This record gives sequence, C-alpha cells and structure tokens, in this order.
Amino acid sequence: MSTSPDILEGLLRPSSGDDAIDRKALAKLLVEIAESLRPELRAGRNGVLPRDLQLEQLRTLLLGGEIETLSRLIGVVDDPEHLAAAVGRVLPSAIAQATSDARMGHVLAPVMEKAAESSIRNDPGTLINILYPTIVPAIRKSIGETIDETFQRLNQALKYSLTWRGLKWRWEAWRTGLSFAEVVLKHTLIYQVEHVFLVHRHTGLLIAHVAAENAVSQDPQLVSSMLVAIQDFVRDSFSGAEQGLDSLRLGELRLWSEPGPFAALVAVIRGDPPEGLHDTLRNALSHIHAERHRALESFNGDSDGFGDVEAQLRELVALGEHAAPRVTRGRVVLLGWLLLLLLLAGAWVAWWWYDQRLWEGYLERLRAQPGIVITEAGQRDGKFVVSGLRDPLAVDPQALLRDAGVNPARVVASWLPYQALDPQSVLKRIKATLDPPPSVTLEIGVNRIVARGSAPRAWLERARAVARSLPAGSTSFDFAGVSNADEADEQRQELAERQRQADEDQWQAYVARLRAEPGIVITQSEARDDRFIVSGLRDPLAIDPLKLLGEAGIDPARVEAHFDPYQGLEPQFVLKRLQAFLNPPPGVTFAVDGDRIVAQGSASSPWIARAREAGRLLPAGAPIFDLSAVRNISEGALGKLRDTIQAHNILFDNNVSLPKAGQDAILDQLAGELTELATMSSNLHVVTRVTLTGHSDDKGGGTSNLSLSLARAEAVRALLKKRGVDPDLLAVRGAGPLEPLEADTSEAARSANRRVSFSVGIEEQP
Amino acid sequence: MTAVLQKKICMLGGFSVGKTSLVKRYVQSVFSETYLTTVGVKIDKKTVDLSDRIVNLILWDLAGEDDINSLRMTNLRGAAGYVLVADGTRPSTLDVALSLHKRVEADFGPLPFVLLLNKSDLKEQWAISDIAVAELQQKGWWVQPSSARTGEGVEAAFKDLAVRASS
Repeated sequence: MSTSPDILEGLLRPSSGDDAIDRKALAKLLVEIAESLRPELRAGRNGVLPRDLQLEQLRTLLLGGEIETLSRLIGVVDDPEHLAAAVGRVLPSAIAQATSDARMGHVLAPVMEKAAESSIRNDPGTLINILYPTIVPAIRKSIGETIDETFQRLNQALKYSLTWRGLKWRWEAWRTGLSFAEVVLKHTLIYQVEHVFLVHRHTGLLIAHVAAENAVSQDPQLVSSMLVAIQDFVRDSFSGAEQGLDSLRLGELRLWSEPGPFAALVAVIRGDPPEGLHDTLRNALSHIHAERHRALESFNGDSDGFGDVEAQLRELVALGEHAAPRVTRGRVVLLGWLLLLLLLAGAWVAWWWYDQRLWEGYLERLRAQPGIVITEAGQRDGKFVVSGLRDPLAVDPQALLRDAGVNPARVVASWLPYQALDPQSVLKRIKATLDPPPSVTLEIGVNRIVARGSAPRAWLERARAVARSLPAGSTSFDFAGVSNADEADEQRQELAERQRQADEDQWQAYVARLRAEPGIVITQSEARDDRFIVSGLRDPLAIDPLKLLGEAGIDPARVEAHFDPYQGLEPQFVLKRLQAFLNPPPGVTFAVDGDRIVAQGSASSPWIARAREAGRLLPAGAPIFDLSAVRNISEGALGKLRDTIQAHNILFDNNVSLPKAGQDAILDQLAGELTELATMSSNLHVVTRVTLTGHSDDKGGGTSNLSLSLARAEAVRALLKKRGVDPDLLAVRGAGPLEPLEADTSEAARSANRRVSFSVGIEEQP
Repeated sequence: MTAVLQKKICMLGGFSVGKTSLVKRYVQSVFSETYLTTVGVKIDKKTVDLSDRIVNLILWDLAGEDDINSLRMTNLRGAAGYVLVADGTRPSTLDVALSLHKRVEADFGPLPFVLLLNKSDLKEQWAISDIAVAELQQKGWWVQPSSARTGEGVEAAFKDLAVRASS
C-alpha cells in the first residue's frame, strides 16, 4: 500500500464546511497511540507496510467504512478503464455545468478545431452529410431572398409603371435611350451616406466630420487617424498600391475614399451606392480644395473655421436613396386601372374637342383664303365634308389641311373651279402668269394691283398684254410704276452703236482721204472688231498715212496699216519726185497743168540741163516735164548787165599800179553797175561773183608783171570799194602778161593790154 | 470659446516597455490591441485640457520593435511630437529609445518629445542610474519616470507634450 500515506493525507485534508473536527489532529493522535503501542510501526510509516493484525483491527474499527470507500476509489482511479467509465459518467454534466464559464469555450475551441479539421480531412463526406441538411436550406433561403429581392424590384418596376414617378421614369428611359429596367434600377438603388470624413492626408488628423442622424460610430478623430494608418499600411505592404485603399466593403457598409492633394474624403455608405456617387464625392473634394486650398495646406490640427466645409459635407451625407414606401400591390393596380380609364376618357374628350377645334380652325382659314368660297361644310359618318368654289390659283385646301393638323383621310372635299376677281386672286394670277422678277413688287392698291420696281423690257411688254387681257369687272393692273430696267442698257447700246458709226465714218473719211492722196493706192480697207485694217501701195514720197490718221482723229493703235512701196505716176506725184530729185532753185516753181508738169522761173544753165535730163528719164505714161518756161538767168537783164560790166576795162600807164587818168568815170559807172548786179542777183536768188583780173604788158620781168597785175586788180577793187561796192563780191587775180587783149607788140596794143578786166560768174544759190 | 486642437503624437519604444499599458489606462481607446499586431498601429486619443485650449493628442501607438529598422517611418509622418518609452528595469530599452530618437530626428528633424522611463513602481529592479538620467536632462530632454500601475508621470508627460506640441 505505497499510496496509503497519500490516501491518509487525502483523507485528513480539511473539507470545506467541516470545521467541527480537526481531522489532522485526530489522525496524529491515533498514529501516536499506535506507535506507542507498537514502536516498530514508526518504521512502517516510512515505507514498510504495516501488516499488524491489531492495527488492522483498529483501523477497521476506526475507519472501516472509509477504507472500503477508499479502496473502491483507488480501484477506480488506478484503473484507466474504470476511471474513463467514471469520468464518462460525469463528463456531460460537468461540461454542462462548466459552459457558463467563459474559459470553457477558449479551452475547448482549439481541441474542437483540431478534431473537426482532422475529421474533415479524413472524410469530408461526413461533414457534408452532416451539414447538408442545414446548409442546403440556408443556401435555398439565401437564393430565395435574392429572388425575393429581385421580385421586389420587379414589383417596384410594375408598381412604378402605374405611378407618376414610374411614368416619369418611362419618360426618362425614352429620353435617355436606356431601358426602363435600368432607369428603375438607377432610381431604386438604396443607399445612405452615413459618414463623411475630411481627413488631412499628411497628419491623418480629422478636419471635418459629418454623420447622418441615425448613424453611430466611434470617435471620428480616432477613426480618421486609423483610416490613414490603414491606408499607410496597405501602401507600405503592397507594391502597386500607392494610391492606397479607395474602396472597402464590410458587409452592408462601404467605405469610399477619394484622395485629394491635401485632404482625403472618406465616405461611409450603407447599401448600394451608384457609381456616380464617386463623381459626386470627387467634385465635393475638389470644390473644397479649390475653396480652402491654403487652409488645407497649412492645417495644423485646428479645425475651427472649417464650418463651411462641414456644411458641404452635410450635403453629401444628405445623399441617399430610400426605398419607396410599400404600397399594397392590389390597390396600386386598381388605382392604376382607374387612373388609366380616367385618363383614357379624358384623353378622348380632349381629342374630340381638339379635333373639332382643328376642323373649325381649318374652315376659318379656308374662308379667309381669297379665291375660295365655301358653300357647304359639315360632318357626315365621322368624316368632315366641305364643298365650294375654288380658283385654281387659290391655296391648295389639302396643303392647308396638313397645316391645320387635320387628317386629310377624314375629309371629303369637292371644289368647283372658278375665276375669282378679288384683288388677292387677281394678284396671284398676275404673279403666276407674269412671274415677276425679284426687282418687282406687286401689291394691292385701291381697286387695282400696283406693280413697282424695275423690270426688263420684255417683261413690261408681257405685263402690258396681261393688263389688257384682264376680264371686265376685275381689278385693274397698274404697272406704270415699273421702270424699264433695260433702259440704261439700251441707251448704252445705242451710244455704243453711235460711237461705232462715228468711228466707221471717221475711218471711211480717212480711207477716202488716203485714196485721194497721190502716191497711195488702197487695195483693201475694213473696220473689224473695233480695229481698222488698211493695205495697199504707197509711194515713199506720198504722205505718211499715220500722220493723216492723227489728223483724222483716229487712234493709231486701232489701225493696222500695210503699204507696199511703188512709184506713183500721177502728175502731182511726179512733180513731187522731180522737186525732190531736182531740188529747184528758189526762182523756179513747178506746177501741174493737165497731164504736164510745168516749171517756171529762172535758173542757171546747169540746173536747166539737169532738169532736161530728168524730164527725159521720166517713164512712159508719166506726165511731160515742160521746162520751156524756165529762163536761163545768164540771159535777160542780168546777162545784159553782166555783158556791160565785162565790157569795161580799166587802163593803166606803163609800170603803174593805179589807173591812168580819165578812168574815174568808168569806175563810177562800174560801181553803179556792180551795185545793181548785187541787187539783181539777190532778187533773182542767184549768186554772182565778179572777178577782177589784173593784166600787164609783155614788157618787163614775168614776176614783176604778175605782181603788178595783181596790184592793179587790188587797186581797182579798193577804188570800187571806195565807191560803195561790197568788196566781198569782188575777187582779184593777177594774170600778168599771159592774157593779153591784143597780141600785137605795138605800143597801142601794149597800152590796151595794161588793164584790169571784169568777169561775172552767175550761179544758183546753193 | 475654448480652442480645440488636434495633434498627432507617436508612441515609440522597444518591445514590451509598457507603451500599450500606459496608453490603455490613461487614454481614450476604442481599438483593440490586435491592430498593433495586424496593422502595426493603434490609434488612441488623450484629451489634455490646458487652461486656454483643449488639445486632443491623437496617439499613434506604433508596434514595439527592438529593431528600429523595422519601424515604419511613414507612420510618423505629420507627427507634432512623440513619446519615447523605455523600461526602467531594462537599460537596453533605453538604448533602443535613444536610437529611435536619433532615427526620428534624422528623418523628421527636431520634434517635441518626452522620454518616459516606465515601470517606476518596480523600485527594486530599477536599473537606470540617476546619472544617466541627469545627463539626458542636461541635454534638455524631458525625462520622466512613469508607471502604468500607479500612474506616475503619465499625465504630466502628456500635458507637457500637449503644451509644447501646440505652442
């Protein structure tokens, strides 16, 4: 019994509520008694089992029942099977009692988890079998709820289809092109913004917070910082999450965060918010940033002065859509039908009234139309009947029907044609017939149609015809106020024609003048396209046609002239050519006399000889050049004077250079004659040259005789100069003895030979 | 009307220096401690009533780590001050607190802070010498023995920090 001391101990342990007996003391006492009785027992207490009969008896005596119980208990405790059975008996009730202790759950949870885990791992089928009966109904319930919800939405849709709101949504669906279901869904989204936090991003401090009336939350200042901490946590923990969290979903709650430059807007939303709410939040945030940019940037924890921001947040919190209050479906349907019936009835009455108004309006308009006379109008068999007279030019009643909004299919109309004579109809007819140009306005005057403006001549003529053809009794047509639009044009044309005619006349005059010109033969002349063309033959000596152009007042630029050169044989022309060729001296004039060219005047012999030669060379058929009337200037008075002067000799004594005595009279006479010669030659346009030739006799030396003879001539010239003769007229030369008057050597002959002789040369002026 | 300010204050300190206990007993707390182990941060609030203003200290209790490199500095962003907590019975935690201080100062510049030498009720286990404390105080540090159990120093520390952070 190695365990007996322990058992003893156990037995001696004081039991609660049993303070009357000190069991330990009692036991000690008993042991002492026993030891005193049997000292060897002392050793037995330390391991050696006492097998003493007496002691046993004492024990049995004292503790008989307890020992029995003890041994039974030991049997139970030592034997695992018995123990298990014993514990098993009390375990359920023990656990049942311990359930109230919170630790129980904690203690059992890991065991249960492990057990469940291993059980499921071993055979998942068991779990499924166990869970099946519960989970399937749960799923079914969940699906059922979803379907219910869908039905509820559907019901709402049906319900709304008969309500004012529903009609409004129908209208919206029709207007936006969305399906009605989408519109209903959009409007029946049920959500509520419960909290809005404006959080300073840098410090995570709360700037402003607004909560819905019924919303509860923890201290918003803590929540705001925690949100930022979580944002940071996400950002730090996951790459690619630099933006942080923008949306969190926790059951029914959603947490939407919109980051801004300085502050983030966090909304806590219950329900299904539409995506558009993101925009609303973003807009609010950017609005706040725009307004309070500075304050947000320098936010240092003092949220005073953000009252206005709070007001804005309050607007956001006000956002939400509530489910419409439920209305009994049956009543809604009934109400719907009644409303529909009422609407239909109202619509029919309104339509009937409107129809009547339309018809009346149409008839009114018809009556007001000129050229239409209504003789009968009414309603028959649900159709409108109208009949009367109609001018073909009056407005089309069918068109008017459309304008009036009356369905043409419901109208039976019969119109007889007639010609209306009222001003409007006449005006219309005139318009239709004449088709006035835009520049003409037609209007109704007093008993007449008045046209004003301007129109082409052709239109005016047509207007005249129309005015004449208007029926008697009709309104007259007055178009006197229409000016001829072509008038200016016609005048311009006339002017141009006149101008052209004037040009033509001018040209013809020019050509005629050219034709009249000698030496010009016109072979062709015409005026074409504002230009003049002339061609022909022209003697180079004939007048320049261009010069004539200037005289005729024709612009040379408008003229194309082409002349081939030729020699003209007309007398005038031949005359001209002779004049050009012969260059007659001033004393000679040419004239045409019939088919002859007559030269008159006086000329020198060489010229006359040249002229004769030219006359001979004239081609056959050309006029005759008559030189018979040209006198030789060497003949006549000048010739006589010449002869007189040449007959004079001034005589000299031997070897003397001055005239001998008695010569003065001759010199005087000579001076007179020479002056007359100068005058005459000037009058006759000839140049006369008087040469004074000094002579000597054949005596003496040749050289001295030559100089003597020259000295004699000089002396005579000086003497003549003294007598008033222009010395320039007088040339001097010495002939010595070489040109004697007489060849004799007699004194008389010598005396005669000592002289100064005179010779007169007559030439035409250069 | 008394002005109400909010200031972000971070609680920094080595592992099991008793930050959380300090916070738990003396501040308004709504979040459970699991945040510390999950998110690494727990936010609490301590309202300090100064005569002219009320300062709500938003306390960011950062998960205690002996390895300062694992401290998430982003959590300190925008802080107006911080509380360094060391365990007065473990000198090594003071070293951690000092290195945390250095780290914060390096990243965010000088900020108002207080150093709490916690567990001041365990007098017989106290292991930080007065000399060391005096040295720190000479540097201008606000060093305060504290006890989450007796409440020693806690209110004073928060009040002082509130005054300095909101001045």
